[in-house]
Amino acid sequence: MGAIEIGAGGLAASYVLLIFPLAAMLWLRIPLVSQTLVSVLRMTVQLLLVGFYLQFLFDLDDPRLTTLWLVIMIVVADLSILRTTRLCLRCFAGPLFLALAAGTALPLLFFVVLLLRQPNWMAAQVAVPVAGMILGNCLRADIVGIRTFYDSIRKSNRDYLRRLACGAGRAEAVRPYLRDAVSAALAPTVATMATIGLVSLPGMMTGVILGGANPMLAIQYQIAIMIAIFCGTAVTVVAVLLLTLRSAFTPYGTLDPAIFR
Amino acid sequence: MASPPPIEFDRVSLAFDGRTLLRDFSLRLAPGEKVVLAGPSGSGKSSLLACLLGFLRPAAGQIAIQGEPLTPKSIWHLRRALALVQQEPDIGEQTAEAWIREPFTFRANEALRDRLDRLPGLLPRLRLDPALLRRKGTDLSGGEKQRIALVAALLLDRPVLLLDEPASALDPDSRQAVYDCLAGLSGQTLLMVSHDTGPALDFADRTVRLAPPEVPHGRD
Repeated sequence: MGAIEIGAGGLAASYVLLIFPLAAMLWLRIPLVSQTLVSVLRMTVQLLLVGFYLQFLFDLDDPRLTTLWLVIMIVVADLSILRTTRLCLRCFAGPLFLALAAGTALPLLFFVVLLLRQPNWMAAQVAVPVAGMILGNCLRADIVGIRTFYDSIRKSNRDYLRRLACGAGRAEAVRPYLRDAVSAALAPTVATMATIGLVSLPGMMTGVILGGANPMLAIQYQIAIMIAIFCGTAVTVVAVLLLTLRSAFTPYGTLDPAIFR
Repeated sequence: MASPPPIEFDRVSLAFDGRTLLRDFSLRLAPGEKVVLAGPSGSGKSSLLACLLGFLRPAAGQIAIQGEPLTPKSIWHLRRALALVQQEPDIGEQTAEAWIREPFTFRANEALRDRLDRLPGLLPRLRLDPALLRRKGTDLSGGEKQRIALVAALLLDRPVLLLDEPASALDPDSRQAVYDCLAGLSGQTLLMVSHDTGPALDFADRTVRLAPPEVPHGRD
């Protein structure tokens, strides 16, 4: 079976489903109707533009252009994380970019080279969607990890300073906060892996099945992508926290208040 | 050659948010000396302790510990000469015993682990029940936490003991036990911030009174 075409009419019909949430909002007088309509419109326009651009990217299949697109994706993720966590751009943008790049590149290379055995490492049709899935999950995990780490040091400042006063080195002083932050960041992915297939059929698997592949092939892809996502989130969270240890703290080891916007 | 002063403030000024707390404050402690820092709230007593640990930076002046100026490089080993007792220790969800033992897991203190053997003997001196060690920080009163913090600092046995209102949450008997314990220390230099200035602090060699903010300070 090939991919099932939706067509413009089918796509338009899917908007009919919006009647139910919008009706619930109106009934409960939730002031989210106009915001929802704007969000749906933005989603439609953004995805259509990306669709056109991806088609162009896949047709051209130029590694330089694919790399450039991946860099743009990482920069957007970087800025989005820092906007949500309300941290200083100057201190965090660089280290976070490096962490996201490492956390995306490592599982992506495994996926493309070892799993798919693609001769072209930067084949646009593989690199862009896989990197997108990894980055999307890194984004959520990094927000949780960074926020947990810096907020808990700020809230437990007395305990943190006591550790320094007792002779702890930089790494020793932050260790419990690092452990809690990485744990909080990875817990959702660990929970998802434990319930996948039982509670939900993930988007990628559904997409591959709707695209005409048999379920066993879809499952193989899903297992590989889940492991790639888990690896990517772990690498980015640990890397960004370690890379910001110097820029976010004063030379005396105290948390620099200027990092909070 | 005479030993260097364990603590020296040389014309230190403290200013926060445009407000001057202390101006040209100088103080030199002799080895083994016990000094009480007294003064009204907001006069900069606790900030001076924070400066010694590198948690705050003075607006002007120099600070030296054991003769060595406090810099971003030296602070990391100079802290190993200090032990701090905070006014409101944050023990959190840990048990009191885990909290006391934690500093001995740091690389700088690994060689000091034998000192933990002194823990059972220290508890009764501070009127603490040994069963309290198994309780979480959230189940301890403010006074119990203060005495647990003092036990932890005494076990580290550093040359300089910094105490920030260590008896502010204690009943009179426990407070006296803390002061008796501090009076019995020999060889350790002690700098204690306190609102108390009564006879209970007679064990101190001298009391340095800080004036309210914006009043210049001379050499003690």
